[in-house]
Amino acid sequence: MSGARRRLLFFAGLLVLWEVLVRLHLWPDYVIPSPLAVARSLVDGLVSGVLPRAILISLRRVALGYGVSLLIGLPLGLLLGRTRLLQDTLGTLVLGLQALPSICWLPLALLWFGLSETAIGFVVVMGAVLSITLSTADGVRNTPPLYLRAARTMGAHGWRLYAGVILPSALPAILSGMKLGWSFAWRSLMAAELIYITTGLGQVLTLGRELNDMTRVLSVMLVIIAIGLLTDYAVFRPAEQRVRQRWGLQGGS
Amino acid sequence: MTPLSPSPVWKLELRGVSKTFRSSHGDYPALKGLDVSAAPGEFVCLLGPSGCGKTTALNIIAGLEQADKGDVLIDGRPVGGPGPDRGLIFQEAALFPWLNVRDNVAFGLAAQGVPHRERMRLADSHLEMVHLQEFAAASVHQLSGGMKQRVALARALALNPQVLLMDEPFAALDAQTREALHLELQSLWSATRKTIVFVTHNVREALVLGDRVLLLSARPGHVKREFRCELPRPRPMESHTLVDLAQTVMQDLRSEVLAAQQEARRERRSP
Repeated sequence: MSGARRRLLFFAGLLVLWEVLVRLHLWPDYVIPSPLAVARSLVDGLVSGVLPRAILISLRRVALGYGVSLLIGLPLGLLLGRTRLLQDTLGTLVLGLQALPSICWLPLALLWFGLSETAIGFVVVMGAVLSITLSTADGVRNTPPLYLRAARTMGAHGWRLYAGVILPSALPAILSGMKLGWSFAWRSLMAAELIYITTGLGQVLTLGRELNDMTRVLSVMLVIIAIGLLTDYAVFRPAEQRVRQRWGLQGGS
Repeated sequence: MTPLSPSPVWKLELRGVSKTFRSSHGDYPALKGLDVSAAPGEFVCLLGPSGCGKTTALNIIAGLEQADKGDVLIDGRPVGGPGPDRGLIFQEAALFPWLNVRDNVAFGLAAQGVPHRERMRLADSHLEMVHLQEFAAASVHQLSGGMKQRVALARALALNPQVLLMDEPFAALDAQTREALHLELQSLWSATRKTIVFVTHNVREALVLGDRVLLLSARPGHVKREFRCELPRPRPMESHTLVDLAQTVMQDLRSEVLAAQQEARRERRSP
């Protein structure tokens, strides 16, 4: 059985189990709605324009926050990876900050930036930037010394050594940092939108809870999962696959 | 009246090169008063037990490490840092996986500022020299170990170095591949007449390839004995003269290996 068919069967089975449980009426409808009701709510949301609008707002926020994270994280990681002094000082700080869930920055962000898009953007950036920085620095630091020696005997130094050897050899690590950063950005945004009531998918989710509309809650959750998965499958996996294949890290199934 | 014999003009000369690695565990003398010279177009092999400082010697010639004492001269001029006049080939091919085979060969040329068109032409012609022209667009990981070393050879030769330094380049290959590469290296050497310094711990390999074989002592390394090998090329591994010579060298080497082991034991006892 192929992987795709195995996966399809598994999820179909899950849906059937869900429907059966609902039909047994073990719990009231507002605790566990039927899959069909969730699907209907999803379609309603999409058709009425509530969900598309929220999706668009959330996507714009995450794109902006993630973009800023890349602009900060990549150069910072490149610097940290090559400078011992920065590594020991700033690097330790970045490592320490990573232990903090990014949503914990929200109170601070609200005080600094008020009830604004900037506050939400700040939380998203704090979620994504650290892992991008750390992976980039790791990748740069772990450039095989043999590559560097070979390049230097061929007369490469300075910029050419950096752009021609260190950066490409760090690319697999940089990519996985970018992927991790993206998922952190998405999670941070959802957390921020949930807590700090504003437009966006998180707000639709909170609204569903307040209206005791479990079908809406579940349908929004599905949308959030779908967006996360889609980006992973459409952007990061193909990129990673290409790099891994090229670098000969695996056959690339 | 006899004319003054001209002093030999060496392509490469190491004079009294010493190097000690210092660490918190104590000093580690790697080389002590190493003298090596190679005439233009000469094939010199440095033979010695593992850990005798052979690789350190090559790294110093390549400019990747600094000697504590002594001089390294090319055409009578001291060398500075690493440069394309000295090509270095490692035990691992050290090809860049993100570049295809042709771009790997062209890498050093780009660093020298050779224009793109010329770069590609030189890369292709050097790939042809090692008979890998049809793999120009291949990825590195598609090549076998022997092919990778041939690409590394093409990459080094493309820079047209004054001296080619080879650090046990075939040690990780199987016997058949190694023998094929010995032949290939000899024909490349005949064609290009590069000065080659080849480091190995394999006696037969040294005798098959070298005009001269310098036997290094156990650490700290210096030249203990010199063997001249003037057999006609290409030299088959199983030629009688070669096997006989190998036996003589082997006996000398064995005593050095023993000395190296005793040295290591002494070190373990007194940390």
